[in-house]
Amino acid sequence: MIFENTLTNLPIPKEFKEKAEKLIPPGEKVLFALLGDLNLHGHYGASMIAVTRGSVYAFDEFHKGGALNLSIGYIEEAKVKRMYGNAVIRLKLESGEQLNLIRFTYSVSALADAAAAFFENVAGGGEPEKELEMVAGAYEKMRLVCPKCGRKLSRAGSACINCTSKGKLAKKLGAYIMPEKKTLFFCIALSLITTAMALVPPYATKMLVDDIIPNKNIKMLLTVIIALAAAHGIQHSVGAVRGHHLRIIGDRTVARLRNDIYAKAQYLPMSFYDKVSTGSVISRVSGDTNNLQAFMLRVSQDAVVQFFQMVGIIVIMVAMEWRLTLLSLIPVPIVVAVARFFGKRISPIYRRIWRRWASVSSILSDTLPGVRVIKSFTSEQRAIKKFEDYNAEWLKEDVKASKIANIFPHTVTFFVTCGSLLIWGVGGSWAIGEINGITVGLLVAFLSYASKFYEPVNFFANLNDSYQSALTSAERILDIIDAEPEQNKEDAIEVGRLKGKIEFKNVNFSFDKTKKTLTDINITIEPGEIIGIVGTTGSGKSTLINLLMRYYDNYEGDISVDDINIKDIDLQSFREKIGYVQQEPMMFRDTIFRNIAYSNPKASVEEVIHAADVANAHAFIAKIPDAYDTMLGERGVGLSGGERQRLSIARAVLKNPSMLIFDEATAAVDSETEHLIQEAIERLISGRTTLMIAHRLSTLRKANRILVVDKGEVIEFGSHDELMALKGKYHKLIEIQSMSLTIDNSQ
Amino acid sequence: MDRIYIEYDNARITKGDGILLNVEIYGGETFLNLEARRLFPITGLDRYITLLDEDGNEKAVIRDINNLMEDSKQAVLNAVNEYYLVPKITKILECYEKFGLMKMSVETDRGMYFFDIKSRYSDVKPLFDGRVLLKDASDNRYEIPDIRKLDKKSRKLFNSYL
Ligand SMILES: Nc1ncnc2c1ncn2[C@@H]1O[C@H](COP(=O)(O)OP(=O)(O)OP(=O)(O)O)[C@@H](O)[C@H]1O
Ligand SMILES: [Mg+2]
Repeated sequence: MIFENTLTNLPIPKEFKEKAEKLIPPGEKVLFALLGDLNLHGHYGASMIAVTRGSVYAFDEFHKGGALNLSIGYIEEAKVKRMYGNAVIRLKLESGEQLNLIRFTYSVSALADAAAAFFENVAGGGEPEKELEMVAGAYEKMRLVCPKCGRKLSRAGSACINCTSKGKLAKKLGAYIMPEKKTLFFCIALSLITTAMALVPPYATKMLVDDIIPNKNIKMLLTVIIALAAAHGIQHSVGAVRGHHLRIIGDRTVARLRNDIYAKAQYLPMSFYDKVSTGSVISRVSGDTNNLQAFMLRVSQDAVVQFFQMVGIIVIMVAMEWRLTLLSLIPVPIVVAVARFFGKRISPIYRRIWRRWASVSSILSDTLPGVRVIKSFTSEQRAIKKFEDYNAEWLKEDVKASKIANIFPHTVTFFVTCGSLLIWGVGGSWAIGEINGITVGLLVAFLSYASKFYEPVNFFANLNDSYQSALTSAERILDIIDAEPEQNKEDAIEVGRLKGKIEFKNVNFSFDKTKKTLTDINITIEPGEIIGIVGTTGSGKSTLINLLMRYYDNYEGDISVDDINIKDIDLQSFREKIGYVQQEPMMFRDTIFRNIAYSNPKASVEEVIHAADVANAHAFIAKIPDAYDTMLGERGVGLSGGERQRLSIARAVLKNPSMLIFDEATAAVDSETEHLIQEAIERLISGRTTLMIAHRLSTLRKANRILVVDKGEVIEFGSHDELMALKGKYHKLIEIQSMSLTIDNSQ
Repeated sequence: MDRIYIEYDNARITKGDGILLNVEIYGGETFLNLEARRLFPITGLDRYITLLDEDGNEKAVIRDINNLMEDSKQAVLNAVNEYYLVPKITKILECYEKFGLMKMSVETDRGMYFFDIKSRYSDVKPLFDGRVLLKDASDNRYEIPDIRKLDKKSRKLFNSYL
């Protein structure tokens, strides 16, 4: 059998199996098969490559005869060419001919990468069995992670526990209201009293009309009036107590929800924020929590109360007059039908309203902090216009919703009123004819019960509406609460001081599947080394650091520090050890002192001053009138770029890290400040492993070795002298920069 | 830097290797095997097509495909239609939610397909002109050309997720 122990991403269709069995000599075995989902002309359909030790067979209706057979030895270059929404494995043969093997969507592109690497390596003399391990790894990985949350599955292809536990909305949200269980039950108990009290007056009416007044019983009249007064008194005072407690429960629940979302938001990975706007996160924290809280109370309280009221009234009504009761039930099916009809229509509208509202609030959170830019381009009018437009879109949807939301209850009320007219008609004629023992008092009391009966019916019919709106809120809140946080293994290792050996092994990374950002990174950095990282903009330097910082975890290959895989290290203890001065230093709206102490809130005043000193920041801080007490604006407004940069170095100093990372720490400053910052950095380094990204190569004179990154690959790695001798990219960069330097000097 | 804009008959464009194009500028250079990419793949399908060489350097820009000579136009259209695979959804067969994923099974101009969408909020984008852009869990793209023109059943299936 040629297909024995064949690795495959999908079951091999019979058609291909038969073809392959005809084509492939019986002695050979297919090591792995890759099933694509497009044909070569870009239509959905099956295609396949089957790979044996020495040959590759491609099956696609557009290959001549439906299949193509090629010896791997002829392949000179194999790569996955990513296009837009699709990709091909493209081969360059020794003869110079180029051809596409198969075409597929991004869904299988990771496997295709592995296949292409297999071809190149085997063609270059690699052992097929050994290369197969690498391919097997890619297949295994694809089946071992949940496609949604990226979490490892217990077994290849099994359902993800994390994701399957989703959808139990009620249970999850219930958890937020459960701590208030006792008060909730107390409130329900209170509500039974108020409901019971509310049922007294109609009955009293019957007594008054049918019995007491006709019989001129003054004593009884007084008793009934006093009883009624008492009933009202009890109903409203108990109602007030209950209202007070309910509000407390509500507030606590919403506070709990908000805290949870905010806490969760802190631990969400960077990849979450790449996709979700902060505006939409803000509107979830502020708006959706309220919406949901209101709903939870409605369900846990009003629903119970209304239910009891409904049952209570039916019992009374049946006891009073069962024929009229049946009559008054007639509108119920109509009300329910109407409710369902409207519910279906209104839920998409609520979603749209939310979408519009989220865009409105993302404009807020996006443009207000950028108000300087707006002013500099005098585009206030444009900003206003854009906001108005988005707001108008929201308005449009809301008006639509309002239409439906208002037609609905009135329709319901109309049918309910018709119901009571029916009772008037039939009951009235019975009362006139004195049939079935109907009296005026009974009829009046009955009508008033019937109208009360429709309160709960209406409530339950309407519940759907608020349920829909709450459901959308709940989904969005759970979207955050359920989102996969940064992964921290349970048995993660807490590290102490790090020596600072850094190793990247076969690291590949892409932000999304459309393009590869880092390819095959293999580097080893010894403890205490100072490494300069250079490369054109967009080449992947910051991304390299992002991976080391564990901002993104979904890379292939391994990164280790001090020979421990960084994924095995406790996240907090790991990041604590790294001083990272970012490309765009970010300050908070707080004092300079607290901004520096941010990295170590326990630091003493003198430690902070010392850190500022090391960072060459103390001198300029001392000159500001409010010195360390200076309040910075949002994002550090009030300081120059170079000053902010030095504050962020001071932060790193105060942390006393084991390793240092500088991403363009001197990019935006004049040469004098650069010198100051340079000094600060050099003081800080003292034996720590340091990674320094720099465009200005002069910054890197202290570097032991230079890493040159180009288009996501490490193309050169060595000391300054080695790289100069190599006369490669680094040499070229140096030449360009020293040329501009001579121009500078000659001026 | 002066950009070479191609318009009307100031260049002849022919098919090169695979989906690449050969471009012969009238009274100027000839470039072999350029890759055609849309500069506005969402908002302007036929306008501003950049032509890149193997290293990604731009050699010329086509202002509007429709203003090219007929042969050139066909060559460019073939190239971009090969490169950009955004199936147009013509019918929605299934659309439901499971484990927080939105599962869709659709008929498109390129055949039947099914896929998962991770987030209905960030991966489904309705535009004002009735178009809806979708992105699946593997970053593949799809388009509903006009939601209002879909059949009733498809709309009904999809509407609750919009
Ligand atoms: N969050 C992201 N999502 C998608 N792509 C990204 C993201 N961040 C960066 N990229 C892309 O990844 C590539 C590498 O970016 P990176 O920030 O690592 O470049 P860099 O070498 O640091 O450049 P520079 O010198 O300008 O800082 C770029 O092409 C960029 O467009
Ligand atoms: Mg960078």
